Amino acid sequence: MTNLKDRTGKIILNNQIAKDIYKMVIAFDDMPEDIKGGQFIHIKLTDNSHVLRRPFCICDFDMDKKTVAVCYAVVGEGTKEMTKYSEGMTIKAMMPLGNGFVPDDNMKKIVLLGGGMGSAVLPAVPKAFGDREYYTYLGFANKDKVVLEEEMKALSKEVVVATDDGSYGKKGFVTNILAEDMAKLKPDAVFCCGPEVMYKALKKALAPFDVPIIVSLEARMGCGIGACLVCNCKVKRNGEEGYLRVCADGPVFRLDEVVL
Amino acid sequence: MSNLKVNIAGVEFKNPVITASGTFGFGKEYDRFYNIEELGGICTKGLTIKPRLGNPPPRIAESYGGMLNSVGLQNPGVEHYLQTDDIELSKRDVVVIANIAGSTLEDYIAIAERMNESKADMVELNISCPNVKAGGMAFGVLPENVEKVTSAVKKVCSKPVITKLSPNVACIADNARGAEAGGADAVSLINTLSGMAVNYKTRRPILFNNNGGVSGPCVKPVALKMVWDCFNAVKIPIIGLGGIKNYTDVLEFMICGARAVQIGTHNFTEPCGARDIARDLKEYVDNNNMDINDIVGTLILNG
Repeated sequence: MTNLKDRTGKIILNNQIAKDIYKMVIAFDDMPEDIKGGQFIHIKLTDNSHVLRRPFCICDFDMDKKTVAVCYAVVGEGTKEMTKYSEGMTIKAMMPLGNGFVPDDNMKKIVLLGGGMGSAVLPAVPKAFGDREYYTYLGFANKDKVVLEEEMKALSKEVVVATDDGSYGKKGFVTNILAEDMAKLKPDAVFCCGPEVMYKALKKALAPFDVPIIVSLEARMGCGIGACLVCNCKVKRNGEEGYLRVCADGPVFRLDEVVL
Repeated sequence: MSNLKVNIAGVEFKNPVITASGTFGFGKEYDRFYNIEELGGICTKGLTIKPRLGNPPPRIAESYGGMLNSVGLQNPGVEHYLQTDDIELSKRDVVVIANIAGSTLEDYIAIAERMNESKADMVELNISCPNVKAGGMAFGVLPENVEKVTSAVKKVCSKPVITKLSPNVACIADNARGAEAGGADAVSLINTLSGMAVNYKTRRPILFNNNGGVSGPCVKPVALKMVWDCFNAVKIPIIGLGGIKNYTDVLEFMICGARAVQIGTHNFTEPCGARDIARDLKEYVDNNNMDINDIVGTLILNG
């Protein structure tokens, strides 16, 4: 069944929003019917020396304005090239790909937890499921790296920001700060995106609480649609360990299934 | 009248564009982008007799004009294939080539026998995967081993056999001769080139497996030369692959002696790329009122 498209969009904004972090907004004439937080967009770079597309989580979207936003950190040649893209330029992108965060019906109160650039997954979650109550916790290395605080304030009841060095917001690891608030908050679920080291810490910090934790994984990708099997992650299901595809089986998984 | 049909070992392809093994799964993912029946053929992900987990991540890295992979033949095993994708693919109007791999001669014989149950039109013998320890590569290096494994498979397999050749050898033309002597109905080349991608900050290879197979436009000149060398060495048809990204690349491979081509890495760059190449080729032969088969091996050397 043909139900996926390679779409052509026009860049309408590509600005630096923090140290080495950019926000790009792309307008599409042809928007998909449905987008969920946690799904991703697979962008073709304009320099043909790059044969692989670059996957980014869909940070935000607006169905009326027909736009999709991504936030990206400059980490390699591809993202360095992207910082040079100007407004008005057209780019090709496959989207929305993968499975996003879909709260169960009984998940009324949800904690959105972001670590560093992983925070970019969060805004699209309340956009897709506006009928839930969201509490946001964002952790960054330092003041220079803080992003998306204002956006999340508009989408959640409360936003707590922490930095590892205390240069902004609360001092310490955001996982520990969330753990301290858990008894008071009593959320129905925790949706998280951050580096792997954060997932290990999160598992430990929230071990005393009986709460489903759903995470979004990151991987080097090829096709982005499940054909090439390069973005494998180890998952334990029914007592058996095996590889699943981050792009097509994820990128969203239950933390208790992910082998860290 | 123009013609885009090609025939390899008695199997007719509606056009010479085939998707390469490992880049296209079993077709169903790309079928969400376009009707895969627009292609001449598809090669399945490499199958082994038992399911294989493959290598730990990372399995992919980019390089200038190309990429490296080290998937390590992750696949659900031939029995699973026969019960699922084999059946689904047989319902489609596209040539299906089942790619098979093994670690020992016995493995190859066992899976080749199982392929007699398959509805696939042809079998591609992967003896050149660089990503599996003690893998098929052991059979892909020396011409006498290429002959040995091809002949063992031919003895038990009722389907036409394509032997896929590795470029990481002393003389690929000798290996093509080995395949021909072993009874191969065709050869396909090139598999990926052995390579490495390095992170200067960590001083480590990017791939968990350290080494990987290089593919993409950067390997095209190597592949073209090897196709030409093999074309001059054997009479069996050649399927050319290595960095093809548009219809003019296809024409170049065919001029060097390929009767059909495979598209691999380009599927990642452009999800509809293989289909677009087939469409562009159609337009080219129509505009020139030509039979695509007439250009095969027509390279004119200088001097």
